[in-house]
Amino acid sequence: MQQLLNGLFLGSIYALFAIGFTLVFGILDRLNLAHPAVFAAAAFVGIELVTVGGLSIWVALPLVAVFGAVLGLVIERVVFRPLKDRPDAHFAGLIGSIGLGGMFIALLLWRYGPDTRRFPVDAFPSTAFEIGGARVTLLQVAILVISVVLMAGLTWLVARSRLGRAMRAVAENPRAATVLGLDVNRVTATTFALSSALGAVAGALFAMNVNSAQLGMGSAIELKGLAVIIVGGMGSLPGALVGGLILGLAEVFAVQYVGSSWRDLVAFGLLFLLLIVRPQGLFGSRRVREV
Amino acid sequence: MSESILVFIALNAIFAYSFYAVLVAGQLSLGQAGFAALGGFTAAALAPAPSDLGELPALLVGIVIGMVVGALAAVVLGLPTMHLRGVFLAIATLGFAEAVRILLINAEWTGGANGMSVPKVVTPAIAWTCLALVAYWFWRQGPTSYGRALAAIREDELAARAMGVDVGRHRLSAFVTAGAVAGLYGVLWAYYVRLLAPEDFSFTTAIDGLVMAVVGGSTVWIGPLLGAAFMTSVPEILRAVGVEAGWIRPFISSALLLVVIIFLPGGLASLLPRLRVKAPAGAMEDERPVDRGSSRKLVGPGEPVVRVSGGSKDYGGVHAVRDVDLTVASGEVVGLIGPNGAGKTTLVNLISGLVPPSSGSFDVLGTTPGRTAVHKVAQAGVSRTFQHSKLFPRLSALENVLVGAHVVSRPTFLRRLVWLPGARRDEARVVAHAARCLDRVGLADRSGEDAGSLSYGDQRRLEIARALAAEPSLLILDEPAAGMNHVEAGALSELIGSLAAEGLTILLIEHNVGMVMRTCDRIVVLNFGEVIAAGTPEEIIEDPAVVEAYLGGDAPPPGHESEEVR
Repeated sequence: MQQLLNGLFLGSIYALFAIGFTLVFGILDRLNLAHPAVFAAAAFVGIELVTVGGLSIWVALPLVAVFGAVLGLVIERVVFRPLKDRPDAHFAGLIGSIGLGGMFIALLLWRYGPDTRRFPVDAFPSTAFEIGGARVTLLQVAILVISVVLMAGLTWLVARSRLGRAMRAVAENPRAATVLGLDVNRVTATTFALSSALGAVAGALFAMNVNSAQLGMGSAIELKGLAVIIVGGMGSLPGALVGGLILGLAEVFAVQYVGSSWRDLVAFGLLFLLLIVRPQGLFGSRRVREV
Repeated sequence: MSESILVFIALNAIFAYSFYAVLVAGQLSLGQAGFAALGGFTAAALAPAPSDLGELPALLVGIVIGMVVGALAAVVLGLPTMHLRGVFLAIATLGFAEAVRILLINAEWTGGANGMSVPKVVTPAIAWTCLALVAYWFWRQGPTSYGRALAAIREDELAARAMGVDVGRHRLSAFVTAGAVAGLYGVLWAYYVRLLAPEDFSFTTAIDGLVMAVVGGSTVWIGPLLGAAFMTSVPEILRAVGVEAGWIRPFISSALLLVVIIFLPGGLASLLPRLRVKAPAGAMEDERPVDRGSSRKLVGPGEPVVRVSGGSKDYGGVHAVRDVDLTVASGEVVGLIGPNGAGKTTLVNLISGLVPPSSGSFDVLGTTPGRTAVHKVAQAGVSRTFQHSKLFPRLSALENVLVGAHVVSRPTFLRRLVWLPGARRDEARVVAHAARCLDRVGLADRSGEDAGSLSYGDQRRLEIARALAAEPSLLILDEPAAGMNHVEAGALSELIGSLAAEGLTILLIEHNVGMVMRTCDRIVVLNFGEVIAAGTPEEIIEDPAVVEAYLGGDAPPPGHESEEVR
């Protein structure tokens, strides 16, 4: 039971991180590898807001989201917009975003130094309860609730709202969307902002969950984010949620039963098998390339 | 420059070449770190110690082991994953590399996370010799039918298939090359760093290799070398000019990476003048015919080339082609006309094997399209153009036509590696052949231009030249005159007439009814997927059903274009 819950909490953070990844991939067909840098940057900024700014965590989190959104706009404007009409936009965007992500990390190094940072101990009430014999902290519940609410909100946004409709139109056919009067650049920028805001919140929550933030925390989760969006199906929002939870549970149980050194092998073994058996992922619909 | 920088440039360049090997074929793989790790560790474990055998022999044995292991790993990984495309392939191969790394960390014989101690044998001279050999390999690979086929797959996989390129085999062989080169890198790395650890082959390592290949230029053989030299020396140069350690160096390195990607689309290699295969003056006088290949079935005049009976294709509930019977005899020019959405393009897609039929029997030059692979149908002598041009945009006009000649050119790569004169002769022969095809459509003076930069009409003609280069037994032209003005269309009509006069079998889809009437022996009219009339031009023009379909009554609903080839 304890393991199940731990897996669930860990998985919800993976899912929140991955959902930003998959949002950009699903709508714009681009892999944004600056996303992990946003994840790390948000953790550091969140910690600074709480420790130096003296803000409550509930004020800091929305601010972190705003900070992430701004980074998303920067990523779109600096890397993806200049590259969008290139025949190799896919490779170029991928590599360009690695470059910008490296710049973000270098700036973090400048501002915060190479050391590990932590949220202050009293940043969050350390209340804990027992559920079915398992110990659960308020923090973990909060993480789960925030993640699920944000993901549900995003899913609703994409499926129902006017903005979501515009996003899906751009995903389907950017040129047709332009002809129909949509401002594709704006929709694209908004998508990046949303994606990065989610990645930022995930970063702050992750730093709270493991009680530390390091410069390399983004690259550690990057691989897992990729695994999650593949398992869930590229571009599928519910897929990212389920994929994140599966990965979180698989990791926790792998540590329990196989040993911690084999933990990542379980994840990647699953990923690899799934790609071969069902490349479109659990929830993805394979995009058939028309002849 | 210090010795270690020299060695690291060479090693990084070799690693970058292992990415280049697949990038030229348009594949993004991140598994190279895994191949390198397997190659490096196996070689270090199995090769005899330098103290027993002498340094160089021991290293050579290690290199052979490492390259074989890398290549084998690539086969094992490639067989199940070669059907994956784009990021899916990238992530599957990445998963493999991570799995390898974790296995190595947990294995006994590798020393686990602490690593394995390996004697240092590699010197700058050895590293640069290996690099020179690898670079030489890719330099020689470029302008061969193999190298062009890889480039064609990168530019447009489907068109490459239709030109007779066995895409699966080419992709796998590119992947295996990448595995062998990555294995080489792993061995050299092992014999240089003294302590070999699984962490040396992490995700970051793979990304670094990819970055170097792309920054240098992933379509030109010199690219990986330039990229590796650039990315390896930038931190050193920054240190030399006194930029202090800390955040500034990684910041500048990352910023430079971004600048190169945004402002130099072809990578650093695009700064160098690009040498293009040009048709040498007088090439067209080289009248020796190309080799049509022994696998091709010869068809006598008047014998059937295409036999379709009861051919149908449904998309969901839409009957794109319904119960069509069609025979094309050798030497005939058959026109296929009908309103938009009548199923013409679907029918030629069925005949060229691009889409499998829902029912009916198809026999085209002894093959069964739909069951026979597309490239085999093309090798049997079917060559086609597409309704919406599917050229290889970043290849020159001549190179496009050379890809078209894939099925009639002999492989020259291995002979080019050892400079056999026969290879040069064969290449010259194919280039002369391609130049004649370009001349035929009136594009002789455009041979060096990128296909993507040609005007629309020129692109359509280039596509015909590319199809002609295959020396087809059956030429399928899908709306060749679409979008041409009447002068261009007139010239095209003359060209098709002269091809027909030479006895070429042609299946022509065209909306320009005048052109069809002039050039075709026989016309088949489709409407709503069914044959509504067939006969000589005179018979067709009188046929009431045809007049009805074109002019009268209920016009067919538009918007069925989605089932046609784009």
